[in-house]
This record gives sequence, C-alpha cells and structure tokens, in this order.
Amino acid sequence: MLQIIFYVFAAILLFSAVMVISVKNPVHAAMFLVLSFFSAAAIWLLGGAEFLGIALVLVYVGAVMVLFLFVLMMLDINTDIMRQGFARYLPLGAAIGVVMVVQMLLVIGAAQITPEAGAVVADPDVNNIKMIGQVLYTVYVYPFELAAVVLLVAIIAAIMLTLHKRPGTKRQDVGKQVRVRKDERLKVISMPAEKRER
Amino acid sequence: MLENYLPILVFIVIGLVIGTALLAVGYVLGPRKPSEGKLAAYECGFEAFEDSRMKFDVRYYLVAILFIIFDLEIAFLFPWAIVLDDIGLFGFAAMGIFLAILLLGFLYEWKKGALEWE
Amino acid sequence: MAELTELLWIVAKIGAIIGPLIIAVAYMTYAERRILGWIQDRHGCNTVGPFGLLQPFADVFKLLLKEVTVPASANKFLFVVAPMLALMPALAAWAVIPFADGWVLADINAGLLYILAMTSLGVYGIILAGWASNSKYALLSTMRSGAQVISYEIAMGFALVGVLMTAGSLNLSDIVNAQAGAFWNWYWLPLLPLFVVYWISGVAETNRAPFDVAEGESEIVAGFHVEYSGSAFALFFLAEYMNMILISALATIMFFGGWYSPFTGIPVLGPMFDWVPGIVWFLLKTAFFLFCYVWFRGTFPRYRYDQIMRLGWKVLIPVTVVWLVVVAVFHITGFGPWY
Repeated sequence: MLQIIFYVFAAILLFSAVMVISVKNPVHAAMFLVLSFFSAAAIWLLGGAEFLGIALVLVYVGAVMVLFLFVLMMLDINTDIMRQGFARYLPLGAAIGVVMVVQMLLVIGAAQITPEAGAVVADPDVNNIKMIGQVLYTVYVYPFELAAVVLLVAIIAAIMLTLHKRPGTKRQDVGKQVRVRKDERLKVISMPAEKRER
Repeated sequence: MLENYLPILVFIVIGLVIGTALLAVGYVLGPRKPSEGKLAAYECGFEAFEDSRMKFDVRYYLVAILFIIFDLEIAFLFPWAIVLDDIGLFGFAAMGIFLAILLLGFLYEWKKGALEWE
Repeated sequence: MAELTELLWIVAKIGAIIGPLIIAVAYMTYAERRILGWIQDRHGCNTVGPFGLLQPFADVFKLLLKEVTVPASANKFLFVVAPMLALMPALAAWAVIPFADGWVLADINAGLLYILAMTSLGVYGIILAGWASNSKYALLSTMRSGAQVISYEIAMGFALVGVLMTAGSLNLSDIVNAQAGAFWNWYWLPLLPLFVVYWISGVAETNRAPFDVAEGESEIVAGFHVEYSGSAFALFFLAEYMNMILISALATIMFFGGWYSPFTGIPVLGPMFDWVPGIVWFLLKTAFFLFCYVWFRGTFPRYRYDQIMRLGWKVLIPVTVVWLVVVAVFHITGFGPWY
C-alpha cells in the first residue's frame, strides 16, 4: 500500500518536473512546479519527515511560488524570442546539468547512507517536530544563526534592488496626523457683524 | 504517524472531486448561449482597449519577497515554540539572537520606507 | 478487504464533516443577510419559505442553473481550474479540526502547521482567477488581495506561535486540552494581544470587510471573480465562507478553549451545564465569531489599501513580536496559571 502511494507520487513528481521545463506558457510551468513541490512533500511525509514535508508546502508552495506567479504574470514574457536561443544555449545548459549531477553524486556518496542513519528517520512514533527542535537550536545553533544572517542579507538586497522612491508621490504619515493640533488647522477670527442690505 | 495522513489525502481528493462535480453540474444544467458581448472581458461597458496584463508596481514584488523571508522565520519559530521547555535558556538565547538579526532587517525595511504605500 | 472498509469509514467521516459544513455555509449567507438587515433597520430575506429560511437553497439552485461563461480572452484551462484550487484548501484544512474531545478526522502532530500551509494555498485561487480572466478589474484585485493576504499571514503566523509556546504542542487537540478548566484558563487572557492580532488578520485573510479591497464592489466590481458566473462563482463563494468558518473555528480552538464549557470551575453554574456535549460549546463559540464577521461588515467602513498594508506590517507584526518575547519570558519564569 505504502509502495503504491510512493510510486504514484514519484510518478507525478517526475511528470510535473518534466512539464515545468517543457510547457510553453510560463504560468502553466509555475503550476506544474507547484504540483511537483506537492508530490515531493508527500514523499517526504512518507519518509517520516513530518515537519519538513509540511514546511515545504508552507514555504515553497505558499510563499516562493506566489512570488514566482506574481512576477510571471506581470512580466510580458515573450516565449518565442526565448526559444530562439535554445539550440545555442543547449551545450552550456547540458554542461551545468552534468556538473550538478556529479556534485549530487559526490554528496550522496560522501554521506554514506547507513542502516543506522535510516533507523533514526524511520521511527514514526517519535514526535518529528520535537526531534528537530531539540537539535536545531542546540547542536546546530551555528548554522541556525547563519540562516538568520542569510535572511538579513536577502531583506537588504531585495530592498536595495527594488525600492526607489518616485518624486511627487503622496503618503500618509499617521504620526503627523495624530499629533496635529487644533490651532494649526483652525483659526477663529473675530469679524464685525455685517449689516444685510435689502 | 502515516495512518493519520491517509484521511488528509482522501480529504484532498474528495475536495477536488466536489469542486469538479459542482463545476460539471453547472455546465450540464446551465444554458449555453455565448455571444460576443457576453464573452468580452468586463470593462464597464466599453470595449477592452488593451491587453489587461500590465506591468505592476514593483512594490508588490517587494512585499512578496519580504513575505517569503518572514514566512521562513515563522517556520523556524514553530519547532522552537514547542521545545522551549527542553532546550531551556540556551535555546531561548539562540532564538533571541536569530530574532534580533531579523529585527535589524525589519528596522532597515521600515526606515527605508519599504513598508510605505502611497 | 480491511483496508477497503477503513477507506469507506474515512469517506463516511469526511462526508459527516463536509455535509454539515456546506449547510453551515448556506445558512451563514442567510444569517449574514438577516443580521445586516437588522443592523440597517430593514428586513433582509424573508420571502422564500418561513422567515426566508429556504432562501439559501433558492440561491444554490439559481447559481447552478445559470450559464457558466468563459471570457473569450481568458486562459480557458486556468480559468476553470482556479475555483477548484480556491475550494480545495478551504475544504482540506478541516481534516485536522477537533470538533469535540476525540472528534477529529486526522489527529496529526503537525496540525497547526498543516492548517497554516493550507490557508496559505488559498491565495492561488485568487491569483489564478484574476490572471486567467484577463480582465483589468480582476487583475487589479488579484494584486491587491495577493499582497494583502500574504502580509496578514505573517502576523497570523506570529500570533499562533504564541499559542504554541503556551501549549507546547502543534496538535490541535493538545492545544485545546492544555486550556482545560475555567474560562480564565483559556488563552485569550494571557495572549490577549495575540488574539486581537489573530482575529484582525483572520478577517483580512478572508478578504472580508473592512479589509475587502479585493472585492471592493463600488470600485473594482467584485474583483477577482468579476468574470465568473453560475457554479464557478458558487465555488469561490463556498470557499470564502468556508474559510470564514475555519478562521472562527480556529479562534475557538486556539484562544477560547475549543469544546470546553465556559462555566467549568464556577460553583453553581458549572455542574448545571455539565450535561451539554462539548460540540455544542464549540459550535456556539464558532457561531459567535461568525457573528462578529457580519457585525464588522455592518459597522466598519472599508480601509484604504495603504492603510491596510500599514496596519499589517507596522502595527500587527511589531505587536506580535513584542508579545512573543513577553510570552517567552512568562514561559521561562512560569508566570500565572497558564505556564
């Protein structure tokens, strides 16, 4: 039963991953990417990684892909022009792909998946999230703080790249509005009463 | 653990089935009399005069990027919140530093006016 | 064979959740119109059936019998898929909601995380609907509500972290059980600022008044679903109201003791209401929050967009962060009856 579910999700994952790079419409490609994230999350769940599986949906599907869609939808990407360079960039792309595969193989080879390592993951009765929490903030505290620094860099970079003030825009300064006093806005002047003429 | 996720899988499938079924019922029961005017995009009675997919203010993308960062922060806070008893003051301090670094970013954002809309 | 019966049993349970939920949505629309009517000193719907009680069914049949138009300039596939994507997460989130002690379909450890993941998916229906329609109003509304929903999701996430810290679990049943006892043991008291932030961002998340710039009837004519009609529109409607009920149910679970009676621990009243089943309390509390939705809609004028973003980023998020630190200190020092 578990194996059937695994193969179903693996098939969906592979299919949608292929579709991401082969469909013409970029929004469709993004939706296929969403689908592949979903299947990947399901496979992680099957492996017992409860927190990571749902966090994948929360962060990647719920946040990253929303940004992708925002950008894709509003940029008029002309797919015809983009396809023109396909043959020209093919060797370069293939080379990068090969390098990545080699890297991944090296990493997996170095990690040496032992049965003991598998046993830690596979125990379904231990609360997965508590396990992560107990090591993430103590044993792996250094990478954890590094993550904060990386995020800080991301915040600053995003603001530097995208934010430029346009002149002549009006914005509301609530503090100023609240601080305003009666005598700044309203002046009571005494005038002599005028006689109405008939 | 996994037997608890089976109902969720079934639930998602049923949700999709219900959505499809309701749409299908609408297509089957409803009339279909298309006309040019009816199928045009709504624009207060005018003819649509250009493609509606326009470039938007970059501010929207900035909000989306900042959202990703803060969403990640929340994802980091979740396991921390439930093991606070076990990891004690050390874990508390670790998260304190983490939050302080990100609050720096938040302050920068605020001072730069990235959170202001005009 | 055993697996098949188990599967059928699960399907039956899901039916027992979805069926009443759809009825609840139908009568939520009725209640909304009646209450708004009273607020505005008029009748509301009172013609179809006794007191207009059959009005929701009349609406359903009307929507199902209307033509589903697909604009000529729309992206047909995404246009049809979008309402389904709006409905699916709104439904699926209900899988982990505990209605009473032990009355929960999927009792997962990561319950709250799952809920947050599902509610964050709701934005897809909006974005895709707006883009696929290829209509200016729809697109405007998509950008607005997309940015709004994601901004308030942060405030909501932070607010819920406070609940997690206090309860020490992500499992929704555990969170309710941690609040067992009298109503001053419920989390609304120690986490009052977080509750307020949660509720405001819940209203904003569902694009309801006073944060309904995504729909803005008077300026962008109902927003992202302007091109939808008939049953496709009904799906969006269903999703929106289910999300409202979900947010209310979550408020009950997180801050108001879920299925626990508000009279426990009070000398005379407590035993008097002991016989009332937990689900009744749960439903009553949820109904109160739903009433608040309608109440807000009848009372508050619509926020301007820059004010919405200001409130979300510059008020709610700082408040939650400060209170998280306070809660953490409470937790470490073991303050009050809650820690």
